[in-house]
Amino acid sequence: MRILIVEDEPDLLRSLAQAFREEGYAVDSANNGEDGLFNAQSYDYDAIILDVMLPKLDGWEILKRLRKTKKTPVLVLTARDQSRDRVRGLDTGADDYVIKPFDLPELFARLRALIRRSANQPTSVIEVGDVKIDTAARDVFRANQPVELTAREYALVAFLALHRGEVVTRSQLYEHLFDENESSLSNLLDVHVSNVRKKLGPDFITTRRGHGYCIE
Amino acid sequence: MKIFNSIKWRLQLWYGVILVLVLAGFGFTAYQLEWGRQMHRVDNELQRRVGMIATALHRPPRGPEFGERPFGSPPPDRPADGPPEQISHRPVEFHVPPQAAGLFGPGDANNFYFVIFRDGKEIAGSTNQPDETIIQSLRSSRISSLTLPPPLNEAGPPPPQTIGEFRNVCRPLPSGDVIWVGGSIAPELKQLNLTALKLTGAGGIILLLGLTGGWWLVRRALQPINDISATAAKISTGNLSQRINVAETESELGKLTAVLNSTFARLESAFAQQQQFTADAAHELRTPVSVILTQTQTALSRERAVAEYRETVEACERSAQRMRRLIESLLELARLDAGQETLKRLRFNLAGTVNGCVKQLKPVASQRNVDILTELAPVEITGDAERLAQVVTNLLVNAIQYNRPGGEVRVKLEAQPGLAVLIVTDTGSGISAEDLPHVFERFYRGDKSRTVFNGHAGLGLAISRAIVEAHGGTIEVASRTDRGTTFTVRLPVT
Repeated sequence: MRILIVEDEPDLLRSLAQAFREEGYAVDSANNGEDGLFNAQSYDYDAIILDVMLPKLDGWEILKRLRKTKKTPVLVLTARDQSRDRVRGLDTGADDYVIKPFDLPELFARLRALIRRSANQPTSVIEVGDVKIDTAARDVFRANQPVELTAREYALVAFLALHRGEVVTRSQLYEHLFDENESSLSNLLDVHVSNVRKKLGPDFITTRRGHGYCIE
Repeated sequence: MKIFNSIKWRLQLWYGVILVLVLAGFGFTAYQLEWGRQMHRVDNELQRRVGMIATALHRPPRGPEFGERPFGSPPPDRPADGPPEQISHRPVEFHVPPQAAGLFGPGDANNFYFVIFRDGKEIAGSTNQPDETIIQSLRSSRISSLTLPPPLNEAGPPPPQTIGEFRNVCRPLPSGDVIWVGGSIAPELKQLNLTALKLTGAGGIILLLGLTGGWWLVRRALQPINDISATAAKISTGNLSQRINVAETESELGKLTAVLNSTFARLESAFAQQQQFTADAAHELRTPVSVILTQTQTALSRERAVAEYRETVEACERSAQRMRRLIESLLELARLDAGQETLKRLRFNLAGTVNGCVKQLKPVASQRNVDILTELAPVEITGDAERLAQVVTNLLVNAIQYNRPGGEVRVKLEAQPGLAVLIVTDTGSGISAEDLPHVFERFYRGDKSRTVFNGHAGLGLAISRAIVEAHGGTIEVASRTDRGTTFTVRLPVT
């Protein structure tokens, strides 16, 4: 999962980015409105966390412009707590609205729900054959036995499971599993896929030659 | 509400009492006039009869050819002339003209009678004498007992006397005889009673009409007060947008209503400002609290290297410092607002203070490659040097902060008659015309993002203005986009 955080308070941006990375997300960040909008329009993020009071371009404007081209789920994170602000935010195209100060676990849960909804997945537990993926606890079980996955492997499994039945291209996977700072070596993905197959069964991920990967 | 605490009821009571008094006065006067009129008529009747009897007493008997006859011996041939007149006790020789004789007796509703006294003794009278008590009281009258002819020319005829239901008129004669003629005034009294009844009835109706009309008038007049109190009650429960409906703008209550409405409007705007201020203050605290929460929750989620903990603690410290500065600013504003901030009143050279501030900020300015140019004339003012230094520092920091690299800040202090004028000019990007009127507002920041400078979170200029105004001075701003901004502080020299 790859997300974008747009926030102008440096300490908050840094700690949010760190926290989400530790949750297994690939995180891009922007500290002003212009960069934020540019990033949001350039990539298909799984979700965007957007502050409202931003230099150069405020959050409302970013939302308005972004909504012309993209349906990326947006969580507005702001200190503006009045009802009319929330209404305005949601009406402008925000998918969720969290008021500062917030609790990190709640923010995580809201973002997970946002991503789940955008992938039309009603619950946080996805079952594929005898494999069960708990996206809330970030645990994977095979035949009710917990399976140890690395963060990147888990991200790969979770992304494919969320888009179950769809063929996900390699470039999509690269875009969603790695952030802008990571070097994405072309064979890195193959390594992760083969490791996942070792742990969850050879048929768990099918390869569509010339297209990409898929969880059936 | 006790009934007599109500203005409506008190007014009603007052004019009710006044109306009753006025009506009673009118009624009494009307009754008196009517009484006088009736008595006057009766008295005239009585006087006419007195005159006749007096004439008869004066005239010597001339014989029956005049139609006269000795008193007390009615002629048998003329019974229709009236009841026979008789003289009791001591017969007196005199004649009553027959037409006069017809005027006494029960033929009339007044039942006229006459009595003649001589030396306090009853010497003659009509047959239809009133009862003994009246005779008695007439006899005991001062005039009846006079032995000498009374001095008629002096006091005029003695006043009529009313005894019970009988009216009596007397005429003392030069001969010493006193003629009393009286009659029942029962018909007149009946008439007067009827009049009194009519007057009372009319008065009652007028009183009722007056009270009803008054009640209506008072209710109408006081209705706006009810409206006002109802609206005020709504406002006191928190609905500050309520206004009193003004129907008559020109009446006294209309004017009061207008005054109240404008007061309510000011109250509402002050309240809204206060709410906005509180919301802004909370808003300013949200971000540092978010930083602390996020930082600590992230750090605590797993074991960290010492360097990472250190980073977290440093970020927390920055946030805490920011909150501290915000709280200090808020408290300072609150104190200045409440007037609790006791300013020192000492005489000092403002130029020295400004110079000190400039020196302190020189390193910051050179860091940003900004020059500070000063032109300070010595001006002595009375005030709080520390507070005013805060104002100067704030203006300077703004001028440096919003300047372009390589720009300059000009600080000019001049003495004008009665004023010390401090002008701080920068060569920065200026303030937009849209923002300019708001720069002294609390928490107002031009760029809307939370770039906090000077630790004031948009309170610096608000505090500066509060301090300057506490000194009786003014602070103004002028700005041209891309040319720079000028702040002018005027302080009275006292």
